[in-house]
Amino acid sequence: MKPLSMRKSRLPLVALLLIFAATLTAKAQGAKIQLSNLDHLAARASQTVDVNIDERLVQIAAKVLSSEDSDEAKIKKIVNGLKGIYVKSFEFENTGEFTQADVESVRTQLRGPAWSKLVNVTSKKDGSVEVYLMMVGDQISGLAVLSVEDKELTVVNIVGPVDLEKLSRLEGQFGVPELGIEAPKPKTKN
Amino acid sequence: MNEDYLWDKSGKPDPQVHELEEILGALRYQPRPLEIPKELVVVRRRFYVPILAIAATVALALLAAGLWLRVQSRKTPTSLVVETRPTVAPSGIGKHVPTPVVVKDELLDQRTKEVSVPINHRNYSSRNVFAANMRRVKSPRETGLKPGERQEALVAKEQLMMALRLASEKLNLAQRRTQLSSPPNLIRNQHKVG
Repeated sequence: MKPLSMRKSRLPLVALLLIFAATLTAKAQGAKIQLSNLDHLAARASQTVDVNIDERLVQIAAKVLSSEDSDEAKIKKIVNGLKGIYVKSFEFENTGEFTQADVESVRTQLRGPAWSKLVNVTSKKDGSVEVYLMMVGDQISGLAVLSVEDKELTVVNIVGPVDLEKLSRLEGQFGVPELGIEAPKPKTKN
Repeated sequence: MNEDYLWDKSGKPDPQVHELEEILGALRYQPRPLEIPKELVVVRRRFYVPILAIAATVALALLAAGLWLRVQSRKTPTSLVVETRPTVAPSGIGKHVPTPVVVKDELLDQRTKEVSVPINHRNYSSRNVFAANMRRVKSPRETGLKPGERQEALVAKEQLMMALRLASEKLNLAQRRTQLSSPPNLIRNQHKVG
């Protein structure tokens, strides 16, 4: 048995570790943004996607993802360690169904010091896409994507360490053809 | 003859009886401790034989049950039914695409009625049904989930895949737009200037 003085000397170290772990957890939880203030748009939207997957659901969903299937194995790797995935996407029949205030309610949360804007593409014709990251050290602890178009508003919020490269490669998988907008063909000179 | 003597030894004994008493007195009960002869070997009865018999019976019953279950599981078909559910791609893309495949496990259905994975986020139209890859859903034994949890897990998995696909799509959209908005070819322009 170790002497009492030795055990006592380790107490501050343990306490520090606990505080560090709690801080990391709090940071990871802090990556979750409030999307409930967009709920009222569901009544006006023609199509709504509302996904709320917390850590427990991520874990049990990961259990049914096959490691043998290559696509599912990739997803399993991506979701490993995630604390939650939250998506709200609204598509409307007409323009002007959502206001700037609705967009700002999300954007203001992403203006905090924890978030850094990675991409911001604004176009009068196609709307805007903003990608935000929350970093803890060198690791991503949260991702938020805000896409605003005339007839569509989409917010994606992933809480936890996410591999952006792997995530961006997912499009075109699951037996689904690639969804991306084709780049305009270069004009050929006559 | 005084018969009371014969009953309770009261009164005067009959001389003949008294004589008989004296003769047979040598054979009277004498209290003394039991002495087991040394040559007599005490053999203990073996009790483990019936216990062994019971254990063997239980083991045989378990073996038989295991074999029966194995045979039954081989007999049961493990084919999977694949359903395809079409969905509408987000606006700006204008294509109709199928969602990830929803697979029903017949084994699970037998145990927990029909498993339905609702995807109520998109409109469906019959003309947009596509063939899709079959995916094998892990059995409850593999996942260690209870039937109720398994159903929840399947729904969560569908939602998870949809959410990840949407996130991936938006990230790629941002990337493409970034590339489109950047100057086309600086080196060529420099060459022209030079």
